[in-house]
Amino acid sequence: MARVLLKNVTKMFDDVAAVKDVNLAIKDKEFVVLVGPSGCGKTTTLRMIAGLEEISRGEIYIGDRLVNEVPPKDRNIAMVFQSYALYPHMKVYDNMAFGLKLRGESKKEIDTRVREAAEILGLTVYLDRLPKQLSGGQRQRVALGRAIVRHPQVFLMDEPLSNLDAKLRVQMRAQLQRIHKQLEATIVYVTHDQVEAMTLGQKVAVILNGELQQVDAPLTVYERPTNRFVAGFLGSPPMNFFKGQVRKKEGKYFFECEGFKFEVPADVAGQLASYVDREVSFGIRPEDIWDIPSSGWIDQKFLIETRVEFRELMGSETFVYVKAGPLALTGRVGAMADPQPGSKFGLVFNLRKIHFFDPETQKAII
Amino acid sequence: MPYYLRKRIIDILISAVMLAFLALTLLPVGWMVFSSLKSSTDIAIGRVGLSRSVEGRAEVHWNNYVDMWKNVNFGLYLKNSLIICGATMFFAMVFSTLAAYALSRFRFPGADLFSNTILATQMIPAIMYLIPIYIMFVKFTLMTGIPVKGTYWGIILIYSAFFIPFSIWILRGFFATIPRELEESARIDGCSPFQVFWYIALPLAVPGIIATGIYIFLTAWDELMFAWVLTNSDTMTIPVGIRLFVGNYQNRFDLMMAAATVATLPVVVLFFLLQKHIVHGLTAGAVKG
Repeated sequence: MARVLLKNVTKMFDDVAAVKDVNLAIKDKEFVVLVGPSGCGKTTTLRMIAGLEEISRGEIYIGDRLVNEVPPKDRNIAMVFQSYALYPHMKVYDNMAFGLKLRGESKKEIDTRVREAAEILGLTVYLDRLPKQLSGGQRQRVALGRAIVRHPQVFLMDEPLSNLDAKLRVQMRAQLQRIHKQLEATIVYVTHDQVEAMTLGQKVAVILNGELQQVDAPLTVYERPTNRFVAGFLGSPPMNFFKGQVRKKEGKYFFECEGFKFEVPADVAGQLASYVDREVSFGIRPEDIWDIPSSGWIDQKFLIETRVEFRELMGSETFVYVKAGPLALTGRVGAMADPQPGSKFGLVFNLRKIHFFDPETQKAII
Repeated sequence: MPYYLRKRIIDILISAVMLAFLALTLLPVGWMVFSSLKSSTDIAIGRVGLSRSVEGRAEVHWNNYVDMWKNVNFGLYLKNSLIICGATMFFAMVFSTLAAYALSRFRFPGADLFSNTILATQMIPAIMYLIPIYIMFVKFTLMTGIPVKGTYWGIILIYSAFFIPFSIWILRGFFATIPRELEESARIDGCSPFQVFWYIALPLAVPGIIATGIYIFLTAWDELMFAWVLTNSDTMTIPVGIRLFVGNYQNRFDLMMAAATVATLPVVVLFFLLQKHIVHGLTAGAVKG
């Protein structure tokens, strides 16, 4: 296993920069998820690590070796593709053995490793089938097996679960984590699915428009996003944003916008000092907006009167889309609360979980 | 009229039209086989059926199939055709497969010019080349002393040159349908560029290669014009050779038909053996998966 280091990596397609100046250090045995919307450059970044895409500027190290000029086959990596890319004319066994054969491993060694990987993935009974005789989930596991048998320094995975149905995806998420532990592997994993990012990664790297926005533990990225992009990308339904002013009265700080006004809790208010009478962006996640009956435990709260537009009953919870004056916002309330469309509905902001962003730089203030 | 009835009538009409075309196609073939069993006299006087013996039995001239080997040197023509068509198929496939793969996968200076030039060569009717090639062959031999006209390799060279451009265009399409990710995966698994071609692209293009190869073989097998001009009595192929059944002193149409039937057999056998690949090859790429 090995670390992966990206230094000022840039990829130009003609005049367009698909990846801009990315710096990323992935530690040995670490599971890092690159997440971002489609077209953000995450797959291009992965393909550059794999050597399938040339690097326009910058340096990539695998282990301690600069690999800019090293062809994919000599980088000692394995990649799992979104489409699985199984060789259709080879049986499952040969698909998994192919990389080892090319590297001149002995027949016995190949057999041991293929059977070991098949055992881990529950593929033993399918070894002499062709890929087209397998289900989607089985194909996915073969693709994974093909990577495992190689004992590579780094695993690269490009949306490996996105072609599976929801139930299988949950199973495979668990299996991936098990494999990561079992193999003590360095894994770089690309996805647009934030649930995968949150659940799989030891570290999450959020990429937007080709730029690396934030690299942190999943919960840190979620709770302390460094900027408005990250805050808006992670979370579903997305974070509510409101433009408004910071006011200071008698030593207290207030946020004021067209629909409402509240006092910013004293312990964080100081960070807003330089923004007094200036415009800021206020953000709060739907799950930090509560219905009144279940908000008793919140010590710093702000009550807002709203009118229900519509709701989504999820069973375990209810998303309520409301208007507060001219402003639209989304809240997540308990399944017991029964917001009727058209009716008035009181909502509670948990002020311990609020975010402020600089409207010019988009950077997080709080 | 109910929908299912209308659909059924349309199906029947379509089948009837197809059958009519099939009959049109098969009729000459049937006529050829039937004529090969007649006597020379029956054909000469234009009798439609078979002549009757004194006892009233139909006389089937199976011995046409024996005599055809004696009357002219049919065995030699068959051997020549097999050598020339086989070698043409081999060389055309090797070169066009490599060229097609390169054109479909690699960007190199002049790639577009090259592929457009290939296409342009197909726009000139083959007969326009006949006299220039004949003159080239004769002059080449005059200048170097190396015989070209009348040799195997001369006609194989010309056939290969004709089929390679066409094959490149067909096979390029086959290689283009192979997902790039398969090749990328192979590169990561440890393949050199040639190994990617050899282990991944080539096996997956086999149906297309077989279909194209058979097309080349069949077309070369039937070719008369160039073979007539560029071969001699030692290297002439079946289409050239069976003309000799019709000569100054005798017209053995019965033997000619028998020879034509025999000449069709290898092609039919080849086609049925590889039919699965041909059909698959012709439709590959039309739908995904």
